[in-house]
Amino acid sequence: MDILTAVINVVIFLALAPLFEGVVRKLYAKVQSRMGPPVVQPYYDLLKLLGKETLSAGNWAFRIAPMMALASIITAVSLMPLGYRAGFLTQYGDIITIIYLLTLGGVSVLLGALSSKNTYAMVGASREMVTMIMVEPVLAMTFILGALKAKSLAIDASLASSLNGSYGVSMVLMLVVFLMALQAFVARQPFDIAEAEVEIMEGPFIEYSGPGLALFKYYMMIKQIFYAALFVAVFVPLVNTGYYIVDVAVQLVEILAVFVLIALLGSTNPRLRIDQAVKYYALLIVASLVAVGLTAYGI
Amino acid sequence: MPGIEEIKNGLKKSFKDAVVSVEEQNPTRLFVDIKSAKVRDISNAIIAMGGRYLVSVGYDNIARDKTLGLIHTFGFDRDGVYLALRTSVPESKPEMDSITPDIPNAGWSEREYMDLLGMKFTGHPKPKRLILADDWPAGVHPLRKDIPWNLMPPAAEDVAYQLDECPEGCSIVPVGPYHPTLHEPAHFAVYVDGETIKGSDYRGFMTHRGIEKLCQTQLTYNEVPFVAERICGICGSVHATSYSQAVELAAGIKISRRAEYIRTIMLEIERIHSHLLWLGVAGHLIGFDTVFMQSWRIREPIMWLGERITGNRKTYGMIVIGGVRRDITPEIKEDILNVIGKIEEELLTVQKAIQGDSAIHRRTKGVGYVSTEDTKLWSLVGPVARARNVDIDVRRDYPYAAYDEMKFDVPVFDSNDVWATVLVRLLETFESIKIIRQCLDRMPNDGPILTELDAPIPALKHGLAAVEAPRGEVVHYVITGEENAPERWRVRAPTYPNLQGVPLMLLGNQLADVPIIIGSIDPCFSCTDRMEIVDLRSGAAKTASQGELEELSRNKR
Repeated sequence: MDILTAVINVVIFLALAPLFEGVVRKLYAKVQSRMGPPVVQPYYDLLKLLGKETLSAGNWAFRIAPMMALASIITAVSLMPLGYRAGFLTQYGDIITIIYLLTLGGVSVLLGALSSKNTYAMVGASREMVTMIMVEPVLAMTFILGALKAKSLAIDASLASSLNGSYGVSMVLMLVVFLMALQAFVARQPFDIAEAEVEIMEGPFIEYSGPGLALFKYYMMIKQIFYAALFVAVFVPLVNTGYYIVDVAVQLVEILAVFVLIALLGSTNPRLRIDQAVKYYALLIVASLVAVGLTAYGI
Repeated sequence: MPGIEEIKNGLKKSFKDAVVSVEEQNPTRLFVDIKSAKVRDISNAIIAMGGRYLVSVGYDNIARDKTLGLIHTFGFDRDGVYLALRTSVPESKPEMDSITPDIPNAGWSEREYMDLLGMKFTGHPKPKRLILADDWPAGVHPLRKDIPWNLMPPAAEDVAYQLDECPEGCSIVPVGPYHPTLHEPAHFAVYVDGETIKGSDYRGFMTHRGIEKLCQTQLTYNEVPFVAERICGICGSVHATSYSQAVELAAGIKISRRAEYIRTIMLEIERIHSHLLWLGVAGHLIGFDTVFMQSWRIREPIMWLGERITGNRKTYGMIVIGGVRRDITPEIKEDILNVIGKIEEELLTVQKAIQGDSAIHRRTKGVGYVSTEDTKLWSLVGPVARARNVDIDVRRDYPYAAYDEMKFDVPVFDSNDVWATVLVRLLETFESIKIIRQCLDRMPNDGPILTELDAPIPALKHGLAAVEAPRGEVVHYVITGEENAPERWRVRAPTYPNLQGVPLMLLGNQLADVPIIIGSIDPCFSCTDRMEIVDLRSGAAKTASQGELEELSRNKR
């Protein structure tokens, strides 16, 4: 049964990521007075891309980068507690592992971009790097805040601790910061700067096509659902019914609500410039540090 | 401010020897013939008197008197006078002073005639190829009359445009020839240090269709307006009107007042269409697709209206020499009022949303700054100039069609950035709606909409007409010919001067601002690229139908 939870985890995240992406696209379309593609379109996109020929614009690194990205994010989701209880694999990692795995995904994107030697990919990679450096601390602080409360680095303990304890000022501040960083985590407007279609034509991914692109797209979709799930796990109060399946369903509905938020924010904002975004991120870092500081004093 | 008399006297007095003759076609058009040696001094004197450089017109006059002609044109915005400074150089030694060092916007015009007529301009700061393809054989000047319009020299390999030198420590980011920012082929090499722009070079004219040469050699007067409309997919009526007015001025044709009103309505409908389209594109360029989709949705009824009035959603085919082709019936009048009423309502919502959106402010305020002095120096036109505190508008300064009777405001801003161009275009759309209402209100009911010509158009008359296109001032220059076709027809679209100002706007901005800065002039490369014979490699040599292309792409695995 325990091993099964790990499988359920991966299957749910893998299976639903494109569907939720489809929901986001549909919502974008609604805001823009369009019909929009069917919600299952992302599945078709992935299948179509997977069926194409593999072309390489670089060395071996170019070819393995998409696999690395996808592998790292799948590992990360398999560690995530779902339905408010630890999965089978959760005990084998701690929050540092999760941060590393997420960073590894970003590094894979950089690796692929840099090995393609395309000018636009270079610009995209440099923007991606800046974004990583500036947004990662916010993510780390979210975990650390939980860890401080739980006095443990274990994933389930630190994620749940933030809710088990009192919902103090620090928690509210962190929630606001996380929400403000959400679009940057999932690379949506106004922070889709690294991909910026009209400037650098999808930046890091410009040389990718076929299966390689499919893996990267899949990686982005799963990353999106991961961050939504993380938000729900950390900040949305527990609705523990005692039935695993019901809890999972409830959590998925909550995740869907986060996606609605992502879509609405994304469709009503223009893209920022990297220099403007950096200033914004810096503010978030400071705020998240303050939140952690407050937690340390138990506020 | 000097009146037309003062301009005439001033030139005659200061340059007694160089000015050959002065002809006043009508109180708004002045033609001055001068000797080529003094061209630079006289041009500078005209600028000093308040003139604004428009464009130069070169033409082949070898068959008549063994010379190549060149006409620099200027506008005196406060007096409403257009001045054409005509000169010529012998074919054997086609050299004259360049006016570009003092009037930078003449740079392209002069380069054009280096390429097309084989003229030489001493002192030109950048005598590189502009129009001709890089593999076009040297010494073949296609605008000369002995070169057939359909000449296709063989393509050459291993030739490429040499970009300007990149500043030290910078790297080159190519924008184009094919890039999602551009919508049409053109190449900007942007020199960046990190993400900051330190310079740029431009190589365009990649889709030359040889329209001017084609019309001069293959078509007749009344066929040209339809080709003129196809210079640009968005400001078609502008070009047709401008051409027709130039011919009408040259030949002294008077058209009915009703036709002038209908022309005005068409031009303003086109402006509403163009501004809404631009607003959408601008939204897309800063990554705000919701603005894009919504403003194009609002634009849709305008397309419907175009079809209702003219039979076409765009490229209306309405305007010909002597008037217009279709009348506006009372039922259509009703439709127009309904559509513009609805657009006004929806646009108000959009205006509020945009003006209150701080994220849009962040992406456009202070971006693409050019000082008012530089804007004047570079002769920038249209919303680009008006956003930089240069108060010019052809409709008000040089009234044509029915604009002399219209009451409207010309929005001008002094923040000198992209944000101001957004505001200018938004407010102008409301002004257009106002003008259309006035037109429908006052339009006289009598008079034929198309005036028949009772005599052939006399040869070798010059006509200069300008129209305020949505993007700025369009200038058409026509020299009438002998065989029921123009001898020379020169088109200057607003993108032609504005594009030359883009390097100035880019300087010091961020790479992420490139799309919106280039976009802010509403560039129309097809308007600019109107004058060459199709390149063998890119053009007619290889055509595939849509079906064939689809087949090809589907079979590729």
